[in-house]
Amino acid sequence: MAEEESSAQKMEEFRSVAIEDDESEQISESFICRVCLDLLYKPVVLACGHISCFWCVHRSMSSVSETKCALCRQPYLHFPSICPLLHFLLLKMYPDSYRRREIQTLEEEKKMETFSPQFDALAWRPGDEEQQKLSHSSQSHMTCSGPNSSMDTGSFRNGEPNATKVQSEPVEGIDSYGPSSPKQDLKLEHDITVQEENAHPVGSDQSCKKITASDVLCTECKKLLFRPVSLNCGHVYCESCIVYPADEKLTCQVCKSRHPGGLPKVCLELDHFLEQRFPKEYALRRLAARPRLTISENDSQKSLGNSRADKELKNSSRSIDTSMTHLGVGCDYCGMYPIIGDRYQCQDCVEKIGFDLCGDCYNSHCKLPGRFNQQHRPEHKFRPKKPLYMQNYMLRLVTGQLDDGSTALVLPNEGSEDGVSPTAPTSLSDVQEDAENGLSINFVFEDEPDSEHQNNSQSNSN
Amino acid sequence: MIDFGRVQKELQECSKDSQASGIKVSPKADNLARLVGTIPGPIGTPYEGGTFQIDITLPDAYPFQPPKMQFATKVWHPNISSQSGAICLDILKDQWSPALTLKTALLSIQALLSAPEPDDPQDAVVAQQYLKDYQTFVGTARYWTETFAKTSALGVEEKVQRLVEMGFLESLVRSTLDAVGGDENLALEKLCSA
Repeated sequence: MAEEESSAQKMEEFRSVAIEDDESEQISESFICRVCLDLLYKPVVLACGHISCFWCVHRSMSSVSETKCALCRQPYLHFPSICPLLHFLLLKMYPDSYRRREIQTLEEEKKMETFSPQFDALAWRPGDEEQQKLSHSSQSHMTCSGPNSSMDTGSFRNGEPNATKVQSEPVEGIDSYGPSSPKQDLKLEHDITVQEENAHPVGSDQSCKKITASDVLCTECKKLLFRPVSLNCGHVYCESCIVYPADEKLTCQVCKSRHPGGLPKVCLELDHFLEQRFPKEYALRRLAARPRLTISENDSQKSLGNSRADKELKNSSRSIDTSMTHLGVGCDYCGMYPIIGDRYQCQDCVEKIGFDLCGDCYNSHCKLPGRFNQQHRPEHKFRPKKPLYMQNYMLRLVTGQLDDGSTALVLPNEGSEDGVSPTAPTSLSDVQEDAENGLSINFVFEDEPDSEHQNNSQSNSN
Repeated sequence: MIDFGRVQKELQECSKDSQASGIKVSPKADNLARLVGTIPGPIGTPYEGGTFQIDITLPDAYPFQPPKMQFATKVWHPNISSQSGAICLDILKDQWSPALTLKTALLSIQALLSAPEPDDPQDAVVAQQYLKDYQTFVGTARYWTETFAKTSALGVEEKVQRLVEMGFLESLVRSTLDAVGGDENLALEKLCSA
């Protein structure tokens, strides 16, 4: 107990110190999350190019249908992985504020008993050895999420298995982060640092000085990112480096995971930051990129990608079918939330949040770790799950999806799996009692409920 | 769990440029879940010169669910209930986004005052009048602004405090003030006669 108290005290001290430090760190507007209005923590880049924190995106997501981006309202169904490049960039630029956010988030996570993925700094090699030395301080920051820190020993004592460090993100592709030809890169980086020092002789604040172009290299061409796009797996490429394969599915070259939808949009906040931070290199990249664009018919590729994206989006919004939606369940590989279609549940993962896969990911045998730090192992067994219709209905009622207007309750002819009989009169009468505003429930025996119709009736009643 | 850190940041942001925007947000008590927003009536409308108070209640899931907003000051407007102060505005319902803030929501309400949408009314009587007899509508709206939005130069809280000091129960004072549209004298009369 005494130990716990002292650690709590320490945490308080940490926080007050951190907040004081925070004021000394001038955080660029680009890196303020528009949802929590704080420094981005474990940033996630959506397909529309907007950045938010891991938890901010997750909490924004609807558990019943696709979600619209908080900023541009572009719909998305997949919860992208954390972008490691941005994560380590922010950690390096604003170590104190980032650490404050880490402590704060970990506390919330402990309350929820669900954890966001932990990053292992060793798995991330943005540059050469020299770079490693430079980023040594950032490594020590990250290890606080390892078992040595006071906070994590606390959670071990509580018997939570989740808090252990997982080598998150690219398990297969760790080495790909390193330079393909170290000598060349070393040279390149020296050039860039020199140039950068010339560009900013004095003036820019201390934290920003630590940043070099080697922190923001394209995964593919290993040059300074130009018009960066982030794939669903969190890896960042130049827009022009994305190769659209003939077999239609966009795949990350590092982790080989598929990117759902078409070419993602440029992450403009990062792009603007790069342009301001590295004006000379950025201008060079722009010059170099322009001829390439015309030669490689990139425009046609792009438009192809976008039209594909549009098509897939349209398809996805049309195919949202409540009878095949697994409410509140997400795929731990591709991040589809809610899972629409087949769902496979891991029977061996003990975490509260569980471990589930969508049909596609189950069949493609991806090797990425879980989205919430689950200790999932390849030998774990899966079993297919059908959507729980009654639970679906209750969930939508509780989450306020049925607040306005009437709606159709769909009862399938085949009984649901977990022994909930399709006609459960007692629970339904409860539902009716609980439902306010004279909610009327219609029973419709249909195989394909029209979700669009429900949306219409909702918006009409407003 | 309401993200109080964010609410605090919003309040700071809002107080920074309240001089320019005229929009204020302040907590009702020390609990940040209940706040009062103040917007000036837009210039060139029947609401010009008035100061309108809006009751704000934050749901548990704020900012992932919209804040509940309701006019505390009586207002004559097709999209605002003349009885309850309920507001018909899409961003307070299904079009809410967590990137919106209390300030942007209040700005939208201010814009709604400038641009009524009688085709999607909250108050059918007002909307009918707006469509059929616009001059009378403007007259009534202006009268309501003069009567209800200008007398309240003092904040509701101050009125409540004064009436409570006279020996009335706070809950009773609040409900009476609400019932008479914030008029302190009317409220006092009503409280005395009760």
